[in-house]
Parts: sequence; C-alpha cells; structure tokens
Amino acid sequence: MKKTIFTILAVVAITLTSITASAQKLVSTKTHFKFFSTTPAEDIQANNYKAVGTIEKSTGDIVFSVPMQSFEFEKALMQEHFNSKKFLDTKTNPKAKLVGKIADLSKVDFTKDGSYSVDVTGDLTINGVTNPVKEKATIGVTDGKISLMSKFNLTLNDYKIAFKSGKPSRNIAKTLEVTVEANY
Amino acid sequence: MTTKKKIFKIVLIVIGVGVLIGGGVGYYMFNKPARNVQNTETDFSYKASEIVNEYLTDSKKANAKYLAENGESKVLEITGFVAKISEDFNNQKVILLKAEGENAGVSCTFTAETNVNTLNIKMGDQVTIKGVIRSGASFDKDLDMYENVIIEKSDIVSNK
Repeated sequence: MKKTIFTILAVVAITLTSITASAQKLVSTKTHFKFFSTTPAEDIQANNYKAVGTIEKSTGDIVFSVPMQSFEFEKALMQEHFNSKKFLDTKTNPKAKLVGKIADLSKVDFTKDGSYSVDVTGDLTINGVTNPVKEKATIGVTDGKISLMSKFNLTLNDYKIAFKSGKPSRNIAKTLEVTVEANY
Repeated sequence: MTTKKKIFKIVLIVIGVGVLIGGGVGYYMFNKPARNVQNTETDFSYKASEIVNEYLTDSKKANAKYLAENGESKVLEITGFVAKISEDFNNQKVILLKAEGENAGVSCTFTAETNVNTLNIKMGDQVTIKGVIRSGASFDKDLDMYENVIIEKSDIVSNK
C-alpha cells in the first residue's frame, strides 16, 4: 500500500516537473535570418525563414538551428556558390547552430511588457567550425508574446569560408552583417 | 594584299562572334534564374512518416541521398495529414504534415505564387505537397526537441 502511494506520488511529481519544464521553454518556428554583404562592387543579401529556436526562461539557455540550404539569394549562381564545397558545403553541414546563454538574464522580466537589451554568449557553429561568440540581442515582450532581435557581424575567415581569388573574393565582404528576428 | 585583308576580316568576325557568344553565356550564367521547382520532375514520393523515419534512422545516409552540393536538392512529393497551418516572416504559408503520435513531420513552405492554393486547406486534411528538400528530421539535443524535414518552394499536388 505504501509502495503504491509512493509510486503514485512519484508519477505525479515527475509529470508536474515535466509540465513546468516544458512551460518554461519558448519555441520559435517563425524566424528570419539575413546575411548582408556590401562591397564597392555590389551588395548581396540572403534570407532564411526556416530556422528553429528555443529559449529556456528559467536558465536563459538559447539555441538556434538554421538549415543552410534555406538561404535564398537574388541570383541563382550566388546561391550555388554559397552551397558549394568551396563556400559553406551545405551538403556536409546542412545546419548552422548557436548554443548560448542570455548572460544577464536577471534584466529580463518575461511577464512584463518591454524591450530588454541583453548579451548572448555561446558557441556558433557554421560550416562545421565552432567559435565562441558574444553578441547583443533585444528581447521583446508584448502582451505576453516573446520576440528576439539581434544584429551582429560575422567574419567569414573565422569559419574557414574564404574565396582566395576571382570575382567572389572581390564581390563578397570579408565581414557580413547578420540580422536575426524570432517570434516565440 | 586582298587575301590578307580577307583573312584579317574573317579573323575579326570570328573574334567578334566569339566575344559575343562568350559574353552572352557569361551574362546568362550570372543572371540565370533560380530552378523552378514545380516544373522540375519529382525525384521521390513518400508519406510524411516515411521520409521522417528514413532521416531518424540514418541522417548521414539520407543527406547523401537527398541533398545536392549546389543546393538544388531532390524534389519530393509528400503525402500527409495537415497538423498546422501558419505564415512566416516573408508572408509565405507554412503547412506542417505530421501524423498523430509521430515525433517529427514535414514542414512545407509555399511561395508568393502558390500561397493562394493553400487557402482551402484545413487542419486534418490529407494532402500531397511537392517541393524541394532543404534539410532532414533529427532529434536535436541542444533544442531538446525533434526538428522537422524542411521542404520549400511548395505547391499542393492533390487534396483529398
């Protein structure tokens, strides 16, 4: 009898914990990642709407998984270059990933409308190369709905993405501007 | 003298034509339009659960089979039940095909041109959607959740 009660209690406890845990985790499938490169030769941009992201409210853990073949360019040839082995090798590395943490989580009140400026630190993996990153982001709370915005620079060489010669090496900036928006 | 002139003329014409063709090809290559996925022949037809399970079993093998190095990956027709209808930041419709009890599904993004064909689709409908695969399904330990197969440039093939 004691054993049965104990089992029931345990089951209830575990269920409650998992419910609370899942309630703390925000998931976003409505996202936009943009690369922007500018050189005297031309401006190039690529857009991606298929990334998935999560924020764990209790710990500030933040994750994005970005399917690389979903980046769309204006010119088909650029998109082919982007995907190719020489550039991002998206067949071998179909996803880029950010695994990080909101460093100053105490600044954010997820229950109160507002705009919270935070630092996100973590590891960014692109093209199979992982680097530590520290970037600014803004968490927005509007009527209980959470959103995230960020704009940061990305140095291609850090991720072993480099055109040594030819037109791409002149027309693509060494440092790109990345814009991120996500609705949770 | 006249023969020399003639040869010179011919050489000039040949060079001129060569430059024009070369320039034309270069210009076309640079500006060539993106592949029209809907006009491309379908490579594989599956139920949503079939492609999901193939990826969950061996994602490396599946990537080798479906993803192309230049990004023009395989064109798939996926049949499944509509589990979610939404819209992305680019105002494109997104339909998730996922059977009840499945861990992951197939997330299909439409285009400005094909959005209109989703308007009569309802939750629970069984539909067949054609599009290009961008990435496969997997369990991501960092997200701590399953990721769907991603299909883009989609259109409805049939709606039963």
